[in-house]
Amino acid sequence: MVEVEQLTKSYPDLMTGKFVALDHVSFAVQPGQIFGLLGPNGAGKTTALRILSTVLQPTSGLARVNGFDVTTHPYEVRHSIGFVSSNTAIYDRMTAWEMVEYFGRLYGIASERLTDRMEKIFADLQMNEIRDVAGARMSTGMRQKVSIARAIVHDPPVLIFDEASLGLDVMVARALVDIISGLRASGKCIIFSTHIMREVERLCDRVAILYRGRILASGSLADLTERYEETDFEELFFKLLRTSDRAHQAAIAGSDAVMAMAAPTLEAGSNR
Amino acid sequence: MNWRHIQLIYHREMRDQLRDRRTLFTIAVLPLLLYPLIGLLMMQVAQFNREYSVRIRVVGHENWPQAHPLLDPQRKLSLPASATEPARLIEFSTEPWPVDGEDLEGLRRTSSSAVQLDFVDAVLIVKPEFQAHMQRRLASASIKVEAGNAPEVATDLAEGDGVAEQATAPKFIDDGLELVVNLARDHSQLAQSRLQRVLDSWQQSWISKELVLAGISPQLVEPLALSQTDVSPVSVRRAMLWSKVLPFVMLVWALTGAFYPAIDLCAGEKERGTLETLLSSPARRNEIVWGKLFTVATFSISSALLNLFSMHATAGLIVKQLALAGSSQAADALGPLPIHALGWLVLLLLPMAAFFSALALAVAALARSTKEGQYYLMPLLLVTLPLVSLPMIPSLSLNLGTSLVPVSGAVFLVRSLIEGRYAEALMHLPVVVMVTIACCLLSIRWAIRQFESESVMFRESDRWNLQSWLHHLWRDRGMTASPAEAILCGLIILVAMFFAQFMAGSSIADWNAVVRMTVAVQIGLILMPCLLMAIFLTRSLRHALRIHHVQPSHLAAAICLGVTLHPTYTALGNAIRYVYSLGDQIQAALAHFSQLIYAQPLWAVLLLLAVMPAICEELTFRGFIFGGLVKQGGALRAILITSLFFGFTHTILQQSIAATIMGLMLGLIAWRTGGVVCCIAVHVINNVLSIGLAWLPANHCELPPSLSWCLRVENDTWLYQPQWHTISVGIALVMIAILFNRSPETQRVVQVEAL
Repeated sequence: MVEVEQLTKSYPDLMTGKFVALDHVSFAVQPGQIFGLLGPNGAGKTTALRILSTVLQPTSGLARVNGFDVTTHPYEVRHSIGFVSSNTAIYDRMTAWEMVEYFGRLYGIASERLTDRMEKIFADLQMNEIRDVAGARMSTGMRQKVSIARAIVHDPPVLIFDEASLGLDVMVARALVDIISGLRASGKCIIFSTHIMREVERLCDRVAILYRGRILASGSLADLTERYEETDFEELFFKLLRTSDRAHQAAIAGSDAVMAMAAPTLEAGSNR
Repeated sequence: MNWRHIQLIYHREMRDQLRDRRTLFTIAVLPLLLYPLIGLLMMQVAQFNREYSVRIRVVGHENWPQAHPLLDPQRKLSLPASATEPARLIEFSTEPWPVDGEDLEGLRRTSSSAVQLDFVDAVLIVKPEFQAHMQRRLASASIKVEAGNAPEVATDLAEGDGVAEQATAPKFIDDGLELVVNLARDHSQLAQSRLQRVLDSWQQSWISKELVLAGISPQLVEPLALSQTDVSPVSVRRAMLWSKVLPFVMLVWALTGAFYPAIDLCAGEKERGTLETLLSSPARRNEIVWGKLFTVATFSISSALLNLFSMHATAGLIVKQLALAGSSQAADALGPLPIHALGWLVLLLLPMAAFFSALALAVAALARSTKEGQYYLMPLLLVTLPLVSLPMIPSLSLNLGTSLVPVSGAVFLVRSLIEGRYAEALMHLPVVVMVTIACCLLSIRWAIRQFESESVMFRESDRWNLQSWLHHLWRDRGMTASPAEAILCGLIILVAMFFAQFMAGSSIADWNAVVRMTVAVQIGLILMPCLLMAIFLTRSLRHALRIHHVQPSHLAAAICLGVTLHPTYTALGNAIRYVYSLGDQIQAALAHFSQLIYAQPLWAVLLLLAVMPAICEELTFRGFIFGGLVKQGGALRAILITSLFFGFTHTILQQSIAATIMGLMLGLIAWRTGGVVCCIAVHVINNVLSIGLAWLPANHCELPPSLSWCLRVENDTWLYQPQWHTISVGIALVMIAILFNRSPETQRVVQVEAL
């Protein structure tokens, strides 16, 4: 359903010349599965998900959603996904109903079908009481619900949640986890990015730990705990990050040493 | 493009904006309140101004001719009733004041202090010799009357006070009157102007009296009565002032009305995160831009129209008030604008609103937040306001030059339409329409590109500092310049040329000066900035200047194109000079310049004025600058901007227009051939032919009979034969087709360059 192969994204950077946000990332997610993209801030999670939602173009590599290439068939990809971000992205001066209806129409859903669909979603997500409340007057939890309703209004096969539980209180976060579980049960292919271990453990069938744009490890939770001989997933996560940091420092020190060793040779060469 | 998406986005954005109190206040409420309030304020201020009586102290009134005093014992003007109108708001006082010393200097000091300390608005010092001066004037006039020179006397006397003198008349520089004023104060200025009118009235009455005494009718000195027939309809007269003011007000509001919604719809949406959601929806980028553009344009139009009508209605009421107060002249000039004029204004508004809206959207897309967006309003205003205000300059009117200026051309056109000059408007309509459509399309395209650009839509906050930036410039040098570096290079050249014009002086004395000036301009001002930037900011001089291997067939076609394009270029130059004749001064300077170069050997002239400029200009404009601008698929941008830079570097307007058009052709060749060599060939040949065909006949060379099929001699100049004009166009088209046919190698070069 979602296939990502050797996906790379780099940006020009004033300090370093080039900043690699994603470095040859590969993963695949099947229908009825929740794939957790786990990593600290700046790991490249949002970049990967933005490429999947076609708002960013990859520098290299391949990403296919529902069989469509994100670069060559962005229009079809956008029809196949629902995207929920951490900042809820709700229009302040629109009511919950108007907002969901607007996106439903953008997805080309016929009026009658749209109304039926919205009634069902509003009932399922228990949103009827905020139906006519403007975005500006909603709590974060309400806004996130509207955001989810907006993302699933066209019944897409793939759902992307980018740190969707960020800033939610315990009750709402719990409700969100339940909603996502429900969506999995209905056969959706879900990609869920987070840095909260508890959510990963509760929700994800498979995870990939992303750090500095690279996948450090991926697989089911059971696979990972077994592979790294660590039963506590949070510990496992930090262990992988620390190992990566050490390798990174060693690489920098190594390149400095190589430069230092090469310098006299170069000087000698130039003197000659 | 899916129109349903555009419609949906438009409806949503409209609803969103209409629910925003701030937008509604700025767009709808403010105009309705603003003008009535301004009107009220102006009327109050005007009333205050009208009622102010200036205070003038007359010192030494006893020195005034007793037979014809200025003031009566009650210090009122001692003039016939008809002549006292100017003095209605003057309070005269004649009490003596303690004088600092006996002499005139003391009087001046005291008067100055009194005026500076605002005890009075002005002091009129009547010196003791005033009477004698007036008698001398009278005596001088009497002599001339006796000599039978009556009209001259009349003129001389009427002018008075030595303000404007006849060459033969005696000059009365000092009549013994002195006014002490403080011109830095408005009331003092007012006192000066009112007193001047009083003195004029007094002088007129004095002359009339003396003429009667001399047995001459005072009618002699009355101004000539000019009976006037105004053929302009009242509606057009009324439209005159409005046609200058209203477009300005309307367009400024169209821009302001576009800007704030644009900020909210771009930067505001980025801030709220809703833009990312919209970008990941099925709506394509261009559909999103069109939907937002229609919204912004709707607000721009509404804002402009509401301001237009509110201002017009308020002015109408004020005019009525003026008419009631008896100021019929003002009422006539500011009367209600005819309905057809309003129609033309609305017609002007539509494309302008589209243009401003697209510009505002493109600029607003750059901002990450609404706060940042506000900062972009000023640069946008600085760019567009001169275009909007240009038509307010009194000496400018609709012509080919002004019709080519974006925005201004359309305003000039509408002004002509309002003032009923339909033939003039119709003549320039195609150019104005083309320029306006081009501006609208380019600005919309820019807005769409902004929305398609990842770096614009997802711009992160800069970690900018000078050291890192300089390091980045050196470390991240590309094979060619960046678009920003290319534009900077063009701007540096233009600024350098602007200052060089002032430093070079006006005249070129001899051939050595021609050599010095040409070398300095071409190498110092045009090639040098480009070379320095290419050396320091790119990795490869050859790539930066676009010096690539060229196919022999392309080179041959370019040379042939240079030859066959020249007749058309000559005709273009003639057409431009026909529309914009060269000024006498420029013609004289060009004639002098021609004489200098005709006296030199042809090879030297061609090397200096044909070959060197072609190489320098092509390496700079179609090389470095084009190479930078063509990046990221900016071929059209590169062609347009390089041709404009190229045009602006030619200082004479007529040359600039021709060069800009030629620049478009050279830009096309530069794009299709992927390099600069063919452009140099075309440019060199064009220059060589232009100079050669002038130099040879000027040096009395005979036209070879073998060339008579394409050239003829007329008035000692060589001109192209009409049939060669036609044939050359055909051959040029074939050559262009050959040049435009890219080889696989060129295709690869162009593709790499466009990345």
